[in-house]
Amino acid sequence: MTDDKDVLRDVWFGRIPTCFTLYQDEITEREAEPYYLLLPRVSYLTLVTDKVKKHFQKVMRQEDISEIWFEYEGTPLKWHYPIGLLFDLLASSSALPWNITVHFKSFPEKDLLHCPSKDAVEAHFMSCVKEADALKHKSQVINEMQKKDHKQLWMGLQNVVSTWSSQEIETTQRVKQDRFDQFWAINRKLMEYPAEENGFRYIPFRIYQTTTERPFIQKLFRPVAADGQLHTLGDLLREVCPSALAPEDGEKKNQVMIHGIEPMLETPLQWLSEHLSYPDNFLHISIIPQPTD
Amino acid sequence: MDSSDGYMCKMHFQIKNETVVSRAGTSAHEQTCLPMEEALELPLDDFEVTESTATNEVIKYEYHVLYSCSYQVPVLYFRASFLDGRPLALKDIWEGVHECYKTRLLQGPWDTISQQEHPILGQPFFVLHPCKTNEFMTPVLKNSRKINRNVNYITSWLSLVGPVVGLHLPLSYAGAASQDE
Repeated sequence: MTDDKDVLRDVWFGRIPTCFTLYQDEITEREAEPYYLLLPRVSYLTLVTDKVKKHFQKVMRQEDISEIWFEYEGTPLKWHYPIGLLFDLLASSSALPWNITVHFKSFPEKDLLHCPSKDAVEAHFMSCVKEADALKHKSQVINEMQKKDHKQLWMGLQNVVSTWSSQEIETTQRVKQDRFDQFWAINRKLMEYPAEENGFRYIPFRIYQTTTERPFIQKLFRPVAADGQLHTLGDLLREVCPSALAPEDGEKKNQVMIHGIEPMLETPLQWLSEHLSYPDNFLHISIIPQPTD
Repeated sequence: MDSSDGYMCKMHFQIKNETVVSRAGTSAHEQTCLPMEEALELPLDDFEVTESTATNEVIKYEYHVLYSCSYQVPVLYFRASFLDGRPLALKDIWEGVHECYKTRLLQGPWDTISQQEHPILGQPFFVLHPCKTNEFMTPVLKNSRKINRNVNYITSWLSLVGPVVGLHLPLSYAGAASQDE
Protein backbone atom coordinates (compact mmCIF):
# COMPACT_ATOMS: atom_id res chain seq x y z
CA MET A 1 0.00 0.00 0.00
CA THR A 2 1.54 3.27 -1.09
CA ASP A 3 2.31 5.60 1.73
CA ASP A 4 1.34 9.24 1.34
CA LYS A 5 5.01 10.12 1.74
CA ASP A 6 5.84 8.06 -1.34
CA VAL A 7 3.59 10.37 -3.33
CA LEU A 8 5.67 13.35 -2.22
CA ARG A 9 8.81 11.57 -3.37
CA ASP A 10 7.33 10.53 -6.73
CA VAL A 11 6.26 14.10 -7.41
CA TRP A 12 9.65 15.52 -6.45
CA PHE A 13 11.68 13.09 -8.57
CA GLY A 14 9.50 13.19 -11.69
CA ARG A 15 11.46 13.62 -14.95
CA ILE A 16 10.75 14.32 -18.62
CA PRO A 17 13.09 13.08 -21.37
CA THR A 18 13.75 16.09 -23.57
CA CYS A 19 15.60 16.71 -26.83
CA PHE A 20 16.88 20.25 -27.39
CA THR A 21 17.52 21.35 -30.97
CA LEU A 22 18.97 24.68 -32.05
CA TYR A 23 16.65 26.81 -34.17
CA GLN A 24 17.69 26.43 -37.80
CA ASP A 25 18.08 30.17 -38.44
CA GLU A 26 20.62 30.67 -35.65
CA ILE A 27 24.07 31.39 -37.01
CA THR A 28 26.58 28.67 -36.20
CA GLU A 29 30.22 28.09 -37.01
CA ARG A 30 29.65 24.36 -37.36
CA GLU A 31 26.72 21.96 -37.11
CA ALA A 32 24.95 21.89 -33.75
CA GLU A 33 24.07 18.42 -32.46
CA PRO A 34 20.82 18.03 -30.53
CA TYR A 35 21.18 17.78 -26.77
CA TYR A 36 19.30 15.27 -24.61
CA LEU A 37 18.38 15.84 -21.00
CA LEU A 38 16.05 14.47 -18.31
CA LEU A 39 14.31 17.59 -17.02
CA PRO A 40 12.93 17.76 -13.47
CA ARG A 41 9.16 18.26 -13.58
CA VAL A 42 9.16 20.43 -10.48
CA SER A 43 11.76 22.97 -11.58
CA TYR A 44 11.94 25.81 -14.11
CA LEU A 45 13.51 25.84 -17.59
CA THR A 46 16.01 28.62 -17.04
CA LEU A 47 17.18 27.01 -13.81
CA VAL A 48 18.10 23.61 -15.27
CA THR A 49 19.37 24.30 -18.79
CA ASP A 50 22.87 25.64 -18.21
CA LYS A 51 24.27 22.53 -19.95
CA VAL A 52 22.02 23.20 -22.95
CA LYS A 53 23.18 26.80 -23.20
CA LYS A 54 26.85 25.83 -22.97
CA HIS A 55 26.43 23.08 -25.55
CA PHE A 56 25.00 25.37 -28.23
CA GLN A 57 27.10 28.40 -27.42
CA LYS A 58 30.18 26.29 -28.22
CA VAL A 59 29.27 26.40 -31.92
CA MET A 60 28.20 30.05 -32.03
CA ARG A 61 30.02 33.37 -32.06
CA GLN A 62 29.60 35.61 -29.03
CA GLU A 63 28.00 38.40 -31.11
CA ASP A 64 25.20 36.10 -32.31
CA ILE A 65 24.16 35.19 -28.77
CA SER A 66 21.65 37.09 -26.70
CA GLU A 67 19.04 35.94 -24.19
CA ILE A 68 18.17 32.24 -24.52
CA TRP A 69 14.55 31.25 -24.93
CA PHE A 70 12.72 28.01 -25.68
CA GLU A 71 9.86 27.12 -27.96
CA TYR A 72 7.69 24.07 -28.59
CA GLU A 73 5.89 23.74 -31.94
CA GLY A 74 5.89 27.51 -32.41
CA THR A 75 4.79 28.36 -28.87
CA PRO A 76 7.34 30.28 -26.76
CA LEU A 77 7.74 28.43 -23.45
CA LYS A 78 7.11 30.48 -20.31
CA TRP A 79 10.09 29.80 -18.07
CA HIS A 80 8.14 30.92 -15.04
CA TYR A 81 5.75 27.96 -15.39
CA PRO A 82 7.04 24.70 -13.85
CA ILE A 83 8.45 22.31 -16.46
CA GLY A 84 5.96 19.56 -15.63
CA LEU A 85 3.05 21.96 -16.21
CA LEU A 86 4.41 23.07 -19.60
CA PHE A 87 4.82 19.45 -20.70
CA ASP A 88 1.40 18.27 -19.48
CA LEU A 89 -0.34 21.24 -21.05
CA LEU A 90 1.44 21.34 -24.41
CA ALA A 91 3.11 18.02 -25.17
CA SER A 92 1.76 15.15 -23.07
CA SER A 93 -0.21 13.65 -25.96
CA SER A 94 2.84 13.51 -28.23
CA ALA A 95 5.51 10.82 -28.33
CA LEU A 96 8.59 11.19 -26.16
CA PRO A 97 11.14 12.74 -26.10
CA TRP A 98 9.77 16.25 -25.72
CA ASN A 99 11.26 18.20 -28.64
CA ILE A 100 12.15 21.74 -27.62
CA THR A 101 13.72 24.32 -29.96
CA VAL A 102 16.40 26.63 -28.55
CA HIS A 103 16.69 30.29 -29.64
CA PHE A 104 19.36 32.91 -28.98
CA LYS A 105 17.88 35.88 -30.81
CA SER A 106 14.58 37.71 -31.47
CA PHE A 107 13.40 37.35 -27.88
CA PRO A 108 9.55 37.46 -28.00
CA GLU A 109 9.01 40.51 -25.76
CA LYS A 110 5.23 40.31 -25.99
CA ASP A 111 5.03 36.70 -24.81
CA LEU A 112 7.85 35.96 -22.40
CA LEU A 113 9.17 37.47 -19.20
CA HIS A 114 12.89 38.18 -19.19
CA CYS A 115 15.03 35.99 -17.00
CA PRO A 116 18.19 37.98 -16.38
CA SER A 117 19.61 35.65 -13.73
CA LYS A 118 18.91 32.82 -11.29
CA ASP A 119 17.85 35.54 -8.85
CA ALA A 120 14.84 36.23 -11.07
CA VAL A 121 13.79 32.59 -10.78
CA GLU A 122 14.25 32.70 -7.01
CA ALA A 123 12.20 35.90 -6.74
CA HIS A 124 9.41 34.39 -8.81
CA PHE A 125 9.45 31.08 -6.91
CA MET A 126 9.37 32.79 -3.52
CA SER A 127 6.59 35.12 -4.59
CA CYS A 128 4.48 32.06 -5.55
CA VAL A 129 5.23 30.40 -2.21
CA LYS A 130 4.17 33.60 -0.41
CA GLU A 131 1.00 33.93 -2.41
CA ALA A 132 0.11 30.29 -1.68
CA ASP A 133 0.56 30.94 2.04
CA ALA A 134 -1.55 34.09 1.83
CA LEU A 135 -4.34 31.80 0.62
CA LYS A 136 -3.69 28.92 3.04
CA HIS A 137 -2.80 30.74 6.23
CA LYS A 138 -3.27 34.49 5.67
CA SER A 139 0.53 34.57 5.31
CA GLN A 140 1.00 33.73 8.98
CA VAL A 141 3.24 30.69 8.49
CA ILE A 142 5.52 32.18 5.81
CA ASN A 143 5.89 35.46 7.74
CA GLU A 144 6.82 33.65 10.95
CA MET A 145 9.70 31.89 9.19
CA GLN A 146 13.18 33.31 9.22
CA LYS A 147 14.98 34.37 6.08
CA LYS A 148 17.17 31.29 6.31
CA ASP A 149 14.08 29.06 6.13
CA HIS A 150 13.00 30.80 2.92
CA LYS A 151 16.53 30.28 1.59
CA GLN A 152 16.36 26.60 2.50
CA LEU A 153 13.20 26.14 0.39
CA TRP A 154 14.93 27.74 -2.54
CA MET A 155 18.20 25.83 -2.07
CA GLY A 156 16.32 22.53 -1.98
CA LEU A 157 14.69 23.33 -5.32
CA GLN A 158 17.73 24.92 -6.91
CA ASN A 159 19.76 21.79 -6.29
CA VAL A 160 17.38 19.61 -8.31
CA VAL A 161 19.43 19.28 -11.46
CA SER A 162 18.88 17.89 -14.93
CA THR A 163 20.60 14.61 -15.60
CA TRP A 164 21.57 12.67 -18.65
CA SER A 165 20.41 9.23 -17.60
CA SER A 166 18.53 7.23 -15.00
CA GLN A 167 21.92 5.79 -14.03
CA GLU A 168 23.10 9.22 -13.07
CA ILE A 169 20.02 9.58 -10.90
CA GLU A 170 20.77 6.32 -9.10
CA THR A 171 24.40 7.07 -8.40
CA THR A 172 23.48 10.40 -6.90
CA GLN A 173 20.49 8.97 -5.05
CA ARG A 174 21.85 9.78 -1.61
CA VAL A 175 22.57 13.38 -2.50
CA LYS A 176 19.17 13.77 -4.10
CA GLN A 177 17.44 12.47 -1.02
CA ASP A 178 19.14 15.26 0.93
CA ARG A 179 17.60 17.92 -1.29
CA PHE A 180 14.16 16.41 -0.89
CA ASP A 181 14.63 16.32 2.90
CA GLN A 182 16.12 19.83 2.92
CA PHE A 183 13.07 21.19 1.11
CA TRP A 184 10.43 19.29 3.06
CA ALA A 185 11.96 20.10 6.46
CA ILE A 186 10.61 23.62 5.87
CA ASN A 187 7.76 22.95 3.45
CA ARG A 188 5.97 20.64 5.91
CA LYS A 189 5.21 23.73 8.03
CA LEU A 190 3.44 25.26 5.04
CA MET A 191 1.30 22.10 4.83
CA GLU A 192 0.02 22.25 8.40
CA TYR A 193 -3.31 23.64 9.57
CA PRO A 194 -4.96 24.30 12.95
CA ALA A 195 -6.32 21.18 14.67
CA GLU A 196 -9.84 22.63 14.83
CA GLU A 197 -9.98 23.20 11.07
CA ASN A 198 -10.15 20.42 8.51
CA GLY A 199 -7.81 22.07 6.06
CA PHE A 200 -6.34 25.30 4.71
CA ARG A 201 -8.28 28.54 4.51
CA TYR A 202 -8.30 28.51 0.69
CA ILE A 203 -6.60 26.12 -1.73
CA PRO A 204 -3.81 27.57 -3.92
CA PHE A 205 -4.56 26.35 -7.43
CA ARG A 206 -4.38 27.42 -11.06
CA ILE A 207 -6.21 25.72 -13.92
CA TYR A 208 -4.71 25.96 -17.42
CA GLN A 209 -6.27 25.35 -20.82
CA THR A 210 -4.74 26.10 -24.21
CA THR A 211 -8.18 26.68 -25.72
CA THR A 212 -8.87 29.92 -23.83
CA GLU A 213 -7.45 33.47 -24.12
CA ARG A 214 -6.92 33.71 -20.40
CA PRO A 215 -3.66 32.15 -19.22
CA PHE A 216 -5.22 30.46 -16.17
CA ILE A 217 -8.16 30.39 -13.78
CA GLN A 218 -7.46 31.22 -10.16
CA LYS A 219 -10.22 31.87 -7.62
CA LEU A 220 -10.88 31.64 -3.90
CA PHE A 221 -12.06 28.12 -3.06
CA ARG A 222 -12.36 26.49 0.34
CA PRO A 223 -11.28 22.87 0.89
CA VAL A 224 -14.13 22.23 3.34
CA ALA A 225 -17.82 22.88 2.78
CA ALA A 226 -20.08 24.62 5.30
CA ASP A 227 -21.35 21.22 6.50
CA GLY A 228 -17.79 20.00 7.14
CA GLN A 229 -17.57 17.75 4.06
CA LEU A 230 -14.29 17.81 2.21
CA HIS A 231 -14.53 19.34 -1.26
CA THR A 232 -13.23 17.15 -4.09
CA LEU A 233 -11.38 17.87 -7.32
CA GLY A 234 -14.71 17.40 -9.09
CA ASP A 235 -16.34 19.99 -6.82
CA LEU A 236 -13.62 22.49 -7.69
CA LEU A 237 -14.01 21.97 -11.44
CA ARG A 238 -17.81 22.13 -11.29
CA GLU A 239 -17.52 25.47 -9.55
CA VAL A 240 -14.73 27.24 -11.46
CA CYS A 241 -14.34 25.39 -14.77
CA PRO A 242 -17.48 23.38 -15.56
CA SER A 243 -16.58 23.07 -19.26
CA ALA A 244 -13.67 20.81 -18.24
CA LEU A 245 -16.04 18.08 -17.12
CA ALA A 246 -18.05 15.75 -19.31
CA PRO A 247 -21.81 16.34 -19.34
CA GLU A 248 -23.88 13.84 -17.27
CA ASP A 249 -24.43 11.27 -19.99
CA GLY A 250 -21.92 12.61 -22.46
CA GLU A 251 -18.52 11.44 -23.61
CA LYS A 252 -15.37 12.42 -21.74
CA LYS A 253 -13.83 15.24 -23.80
CA ASN A 254 -10.93 16.29 -21.56
CA GLN A 255 -8.21 15.00 -19.30
CA VAL A 256 -7.67 16.72 -15.97
CA MET A 257 -3.95 16.30 -15.41
CA ILE A 258 -1.58 17.02 -12.53
CA HIS A 259 2.06 15.82 -12.66
CA GLY A 260 1.30 13.68 -15.68
CA ILE A 261 -1.53 11.73 -14.05
CA GLU A 262 -5.32 12.03 -13.92
CA PRO A 263 -6.35 11.98 -10.26
CA MET A 264 -9.84 10.65 -9.54
CA LEU A 265 -12.37 13.47 -9.42
CA GLU A 266 -13.50 12.17 -6.02
CA THR A 267 -10.08 12.94 -4.49
CA PRO A 268 -10.35 15.47 -1.66
CA LEU A 269 -8.86 18.80 -2.73
CA GLN A 270 -7.15 19.22 0.64
CA TRP A 271 -5.24 15.94 0.10
CA LEU A 272 -4.28 17.03 -3.42
CA SER A 273 -3.02 20.35 -2.11
CA GLU A 274 -0.86 18.64 0.53
CA HIS A 275 0.55 15.94 -1.76
CA LEU A 276 0.40 17.00 -5.41
CA SER A 277 1.32 20.67 -5.17
CA TYR A 278 4.46 21.83 -6.89
CA PRO A 279 7.30 23.16 -4.70
CA ASP A 280 5.71 26.62 -5.05
CA ASN A 281 2.77 25.17 -3.05
CA PHE A 282 0.32 25.61 -5.92
CA LEU A 283 -1.73 22.88 -7.59
CA HIS A 284 -1.10 23.51 -11.31
CA ILE A 285 -3.88 21.68 -13.13
CA SER A 286 -3.97 21.15 -16.91
CA ILE A 287 -7.17 20.60 -18.87
CA ILE A 288 -6.24 18.98 -22.16
CA PRO A 289 -8.28 17.37 -24.93
CA GLN A 290 -8.75 13.63 -24.51
CA PRO A 291 -6.23 12.08 -26.90
CA THR A 292 -7.80 10.06 -29.70
CA ASP A 293 -5.81 6.90 -30.18
CA MET B 1 -15.52 36.23 -2.98
CA ASP B 2 -14.32 35.68 -6.52
CA SER B 3 -11.57 37.54 -8.28
CA SER B 4 -12.82 40.10 -10.72
CA ASP B 5 -12.97 38.93 -14.30
CA GLY B 6 -12.16 42.35 -15.59
CA TYR B 7 -9.81 45.21 -14.94
CA MET B 8 -9.74 49.01 -15.08
CA CYS B 9 -7.63 50.23 -17.94
CA LYS B 10 -6.11 53.60 -18.72
CA MET B 11 -4.01 54.40 -21.74
CA HIS B 12 -2.19 57.55 -22.51
CA PHE B 13 0.16 58.66 -25.21
CA GLN B 14 3.11 60.90 -24.65
CA ILE B 15 5.61 62.41 -26.96
CA LYS B 16 9.03 61.54 -25.74
CA ASN B 17 11.55 64.26 -26.32
CA GLU B 18 15.03 64.78 -25.06
CA THR B 19 14.26 67.88 -23.00
CA VAL B 20 12.19 67.20 -19.93
CA VAL B 21 8.55 68.20 -20.29
CA SER B 22 8.09 71.44 -18.40
CA ARG B 23 5.56 71.17 -15.63
CA ALA B 24 3.63 74.20 -14.43
CA GLY B 25 6.57 76.50 -14.88
CA THR B 26 9.28 74.58 -13.11
CA SER B 27 12.28 73.65 -15.18
CA ALA B 28 14.14 70.41 -15.25
CA HIS B 29 17.06 71.89 -13.36
CA GLU B 30 15.05 72.86 -10.34
CA GLN B 31 13.98 69.35 -9.42
CA THR B 32 11.37 70.68 -7.06
CA CYS B 33 8.83 68.26 -5.78
CA LEU B 34 5.32 69.38 -6.60
CA PRO B 35 2.61 69.15 -3.99
CA MET B 36 -0.06 66.64 -4.97
CA GLU B 37 -2.67 69.30 -5.85
CA GLU B 38 -0.39 70.90 -8.42
CA ALA B 39 0.63 67.54 -9.79
CA LEU B 40 -3.01 66.72 -10.37
CA GLU B 41 -3.51 69.92 -12.33
CA LEU B 42 -0.78 69.15 -14.83
CA PRO B 43 -1.71 68.78 -18.46
CA LEU B 44 -2.14 65.10 -19.09
CA ASP B 45 -3.00 62.53 -21.61
CA ASP B 46 -1.87 64.00 -24.82
CA PHE B 47 -4.08 61.89 -27.05
CA GLU B 48 -3.43 64.03 -30.07
CA VAL B 49 -0.34 63.22 -31.99
CA THR B 50 0.89 65.90 -34.32
CA GLU B 51 1.74 64.66 -37.76
CA SER B 52 5.20 66.11 -37.73
CA THR B 53 6.23 63.78 -34.92
CA ALA B 54 8.00 60.60 -35.91
CA THR B 55 5.93 57.65 -34.79
CA ASN B 56 8.81 56.01 -32.96
CA GLU B 57 8.91 58.99 -30.64
CA VAL B 58 5.41 58.41 -29.35
CA ILE B 59 5.06 56.16 -26.35
CA LYS B 60 1.87 54.38 -25.39
CA TYR B 61 1.42 53.82 -21.65
CA GLU B 62 -1.06 51.30 -20.37
CA TYR B 63 -2.18 51.07 -16.76
CA HIS B 64 -4.41 48.29 -15.51
CA VAL B 65 -5.87 47.96 -12.05
CA LEU B 66 -6.65 44.38 -11.11
CA TYR B 67 -7.86 42.87 -7.91
CA SER B 68 -5.71 40.23 -6.23
CA CYS B 69 -8.01 37.74 -4.55
CA SER B 70 -5.02 36.16 -2.82
CA TYR B 71 -4.02 39.37 -1.04
CA GLN B 72 -7.42 41.07 -1.29
CA VAL B 73 -5.96 44.35 -2.48
CA PRO B 74 -5.82 46.19 -5.81
CA VAL B 75 -2.67 45.74 -7.90
CA LEU B 76 -1.29 48.13 -10.51
CA TYR B 77 0.00 46.57 -13.73
CA PHE B 78 1.65 48.82 -16.29
CA ARG B 79 3.66 48.76 -19.47
CA ALA B 80 4.86 51.13 -22.13
CA SER B 81 5.71 50.66 -25.79
CA PHE B 82 6.46 52.62 -28.93
CA LEU B 83 3.70 52.72 -31.53
CA ASP B 84 5.46 50.07 -33.60
CA GLY B 85 5.09 47.67 -30.67
CA ARG B 86 8.62 47.75 -29.28
CA PRO B 87 8.33 47.62 -25.50
CA LEU B 88 10.13 49.96 -23.14
CA ALA B 89 12.36 48.49 -20.48
CA LEU B 90 11.68 49.47 -16.90
CA LYS B 91 14.62 51.85 -16.86
CA ASP B 92 13.21 53.75 -19.87
CA ILE B 93 9.81 54.10 -18.17
CA TRP B 94 11.61 55.20 -15.02
CA GLU B 95 13.22 58.11 -16.90
CA GLY B 96 9.77 59.58 -17.55
CA VAL B 97 8.89 59.66 -13.87
CA HIS B 98 9.36 62.90 -11.93
CA GLU B 99 12.26 62.95 -9.41
CA CYS B 100 10.16 63.33 -6.28
CA TYR B 101 8.16 60.24 -7.12
CA LYS B 102 11.32 58.29 -7.69
CA THR B 103 12.32 59.13 -4.15
CA ARG B 104 8.96 57.98 -2.87
CA LEU B 105 9.34 54.64 -4.62
CA LEU B 106 12.81 54.14 -3.23
CA GLN B 107 11.54 54.87 0.28
CA GLY B 108 8.76 52.29 0.10
CA PRO B 109 6.26 51.17 1.51
CA TRP B 110 6.09 48.71 -1.33
CA ASP B 111 8.57 45.97 -1.99
CA THR B 112 9.58 46.25 -5.63
CA ILE B 113 8.52 46.64 -9.20
CA SER B 114 8.98 43.45 -11.14
CA GLN B 115 7.97 41.98 -14.46
CA GLN B 116 5.06 39.53 -14.22
CA GLU B 117 2.52 37.83 -16.41
CA HIS B 118 -0.78 39.72 -16.60
CA PRO B 119 -3.30 37.21 -15.16
CA ILE B 120 -5.94 37.98 -17.79
CA LEU B 121 -3.96 38.93 -20.90
CA GLY B 122 -1.06 36.53 -20.29
CA GLN B 123 1.48 39.14 -21.44
CA PRO B 124 4.47 40.63 -19.59
CA PHE B 125 3.66 43.74 -17.54
CA PHE B 126 5.46 45.55 -14.76
CA VAL B 127 3.79 45.25 -11.38
CA LEU B 128 3.94 47.29 -8.22
CA HIS B 129 3.85 44.69 -5.44
CA PRO B 130 0.79 44.73 -3.19
CA CYS B 131 2.27 43.19 -0.07
CA LYS B 132 2.31 46.38 1.94
CA THR B 133 -0.83 47.98 0.49
CA ASN B 134 -2.83 47.49 3.69
CA GLU B 135 -0.06 49.24 5.58
CA PHE B 136 -0.25 52.49 3.68
CA MET B 137 -3.98 52.48 2.95
CA THR B 138 -5.16 52.01 6.55
CA PRO B 139 -4.25 55.58 7.66
CA VAL B 140 -6.08 56.96 4.61
CA LEU B 141 -9.26 55.10 5.51
CA LYS B 142 -8.95 55.89 9.23
CA ASN B 143 -8.54 59.58 8.51
CA SER B 144 -11.52 59.71 6.19
CA ARG B 145 -13.71 58.27 8.91
CA LYS B 146 -12.46 60.87 11.33
CA ILE B 147 -13.48 63.76 9.10
CA ASN B 148 -16.68 61.93 8.17
CA ARG B 149 -16.00 61.78 4.49
CA ASN B 150 -16.54 58.85 2.13
CA VAL B 151 -13.36 57.95 0.39
CA ASN B 152 -13.26 55.94 -2.79
CA TYR B 153 -10.64 53.30 -1.96
CA ILE B 154 -9.46 52.73 -5.52
CA THR B 155 -9.10 56.44 -6.31
CA SER B 156 -7.17 57.10 -3.10
CA TRP B 157 -4.95 54.10 -3.70
CA LEU B 158 -4.32 55.15 -7.32
CA SER B 159 -3.41 58.67 -6.29
CA LEU B 160 -0.75 57.21 -3.97
CA VAL B 161 0.79 54.57 -6.22
CA GLY B 162 0.04 55.95 -9.67
CA PRO B 163 2.46 58.90 -9.86
CA VAL B 164 5.31 56.64 -8.82
CA VAL B 165 5.02 54.87 -12.16
CA GLY B 166 4.07 57.85 -14.27
CA LEU B 167 0.31 57.66 -13.89
CA HIS B 168 -1.29 61.01 -13.05
CA LEU B 169 -4.93 61.47 -12.26
CA PRO B 170 -6.93 64.52 -13.33
CA LEU B 171 -8.58 66.66 -10.64
CA SER B 172 -11.98 65.34 -11.63
CA TYR B 173 -10.97 62.02 -10.03
CA ALA B 174 -10.40 63.87 -6.76
CA GLY B 175 -13.94 65.17 -6.95
CA ALA B 176 -15.28 61.69 -7.57
CA ALA B 177 -13.18 60.35 -4.70
CA SER B 178 -15.11 62.27 -2.09
CA GLN B 179 -18.61 61.80 -3.42
CA ASP B 180 -21.11 59.66 -1.60
CA GLU B 181 -21.55 56.32 -3.33
